[in-house]
Amino acid sequence: MSDKKFILVVDDDPDLVESVAMKLESEQYRVEKAYDGVEALEKIKAEKPALLVLDVMMPRKNGYELCDELKKDPQYKDIIVVLLTAVADSVTSTSYTHMDGKTTLADDFIPKPIDLDKLLEIIKDNMEA
Amino acid sequence: MAHDSEYMEFLPRILIIDDEKRVREGCRKVLTEQGYDVLMAENGEIGIGMIEKEHFDVVLLDLMMPGYSGFEVLNHVKAIHPETVIIVITGYATIEHSIEAMKKGALDFIPKPFSPDQLRVIVAKAIEFTRALQDIATEKTRLRTLINHLTDGVMTTDAQKRVVLANPTFQRIMGYKGKSAIDRPLAELTGNEQLNALIEKTLNSEESKFVEHVEELVILDEAEKKEKIYSAKCLPFRDRLQRIIGSITLLRDITALKQMDQMKSDFVSMVSHEIRSPINSVLAQINVICDGLAGEISDKQKNMLDRSSQKLLALSNMTTELLDLAKIESGLIIMEKESIAMSSLLNEQADFHKAAADEKQIDIHLDLLQPLPNVNANLQNMEEVFSNLITNAIKYSPSGSHITISASIENEYLRVSVKDTGFGIPEEDQPRIFERFYRVKNEKTRMITGTGLGLPIVKNIVESHEGMIQMESTPGSGTAFHVYLPVL
Repeated sequence: MSDKKFILVVDDDPDLVESVAMKLESEQYRVEKAYDGVEALEKIKAEKPALLVLDVMMPRKNGYELCDELKKDPQYKDIIVVLLTAVADSVTSTSYTHMDGKTTLADDFIPKPIDLDKLLEIIKDNMEA
Repeated sequence: MAHDSEYMEFLPRILIIDDEKRVREGCRKVLTEQGYDVLMAENGEIGIGMIEKEHFDVVLLDLMMPGYSGFEVLNHVKAIHPETVIIVITGYATIEHSIEAMKKGALDFIPKPFSPDQLRVIVAKAIEFTRALQDIATEKTRLRTLINHLTDGVMTTDAQKRVVLANPTFQRIMGYKGKSAIDRPLAELTGNEQLNALIEKTLNSEESKFVEHVEELVILDEAEKKEKIYSAKCLPFRDRLQRIIGSITLLRDITALKQMDQMKSDFVSMVSHEIRSPINSVLAQINVICDGLAGEISDKQKNMLDRSSQKLLALSNMTTELLDLAKIESGLIIMEKESIAMSSLLNEQADFHKAAADEKQIDIHLDLLQPLPNVNANLQNMEEVFSNLITNAIKYSPSGSHITISASIENEYLRVSVKDTGFGIPEEDQPRIFERFYRVKNEKTRMITGTGLGLPIVKNIVESHEGMIQMESTPGSGTAFHVYLPVL
């Protein structure tokens, strides 16, 4: 196994996953891809990543649920989770419930549309912390 | 005198009760000349008979008469026409009699002998007094009728949380039946804890601060056996020394609006997600290509891809702004308003936009009158207003321009102006810039991306705060937006 840090990118849009993966690979990270929450969990069990780039709205198991499960599991709770959030996802609730509700367990957030350079910055910050 | 009173069309009616014919006739002459309708009675018994039959505005009453005494007549008048003004005529000006008469409800006294001028003055004063009472009584009735027929619930309390007024709608919403709730503790009228807490909070508001607490209440409608949603607005009211002496609560049924809004939100949220997702994904792809991660690209290709990115980004922002606009327009965002210190807000805004301005070598200058009064507004909304205006000023100005944010008091308003030395708005576009999706497109602005929703959002917010917005622009030399917000 190489000493490159291992990151799992999870989103139901394969094009987005591909772009994020290309960006991260160009920065010397090793990347695995998953397209929904259930698949992501399988990949995590196969090899524990250092960091998870996780979309919120996905079929089968959404990002909040997966994040919750990981953070409650002693074996996985140290995986850094960066949530991809879109403002529109919280439309039916207020910004407050959005922030103090389900999302508090994640380590960081990045709004969609993703600024890839910013994502990289966030990842670096969290990996070093 | 209340010249605009609606009773002026009726002549004031005056009754003179005096056993001396000379006094009666003399008074009648003087008062008839004043344009009053004057009747006379030669003793107390006749006088009482007339008062029982009809209403008089003023009764001039001799205290010392054979038969019924003036005091007996006085008691009688007060019993059947408490609003009639009584002026006592005292034959020999004994203070004791006059004081006793006034204790029993006479307004004033006039000692015999008196001059026509004295009589005119004292009667005019009495008429003015009775008109004012009448105006107040009418106003009260009118207000009561109005409040009782409102479809919104209205309830006021005193500072001790006792009910002063609760209209039928309010009582129905609370499911209150039984005796009048007036003068009873609020808790007897409603057991709703949230509402009680809201009123408690209002009554304990800071002395000098203007507050308006708004919350949503869910109350079970027992008649219809279903939950209804109300917007509850609670305000304190104060005496002349600004002490809080009570609260007023308004309840509006927003159940149907909430349901519609929910349906709309769900729909818009779904659609917007479906639109944004592919855009976001394409943006990421372009980003990767521009970084050269998918092979080398030429400058020309990169330039074109950068432009596509900007357009897509604008499209993505537009869906967000559309949602905001729909929310503001529906008026259903319960806005907590608070007293806001504008100078610190404007300072923060200037700081926040400094980075973007620096990129174009634009300087933002703050020119604020100190100290600025506070305004009662929603903080997030205000940030949005000024953020939008400053962003526009930066976007629509060439490098090296200047932006000035100034503020001053104009009448009852705080005026905040955001002025730039930018491109200006062509005259033909000026009337339309507050329209949704309207964007000025010419050789200067063609490359600027935007949604055309910023100014409509600003205008909506300002107007929902009982304010207004004005624009001044000279093509080629700059634009100024003036936001007027009511001062506390």
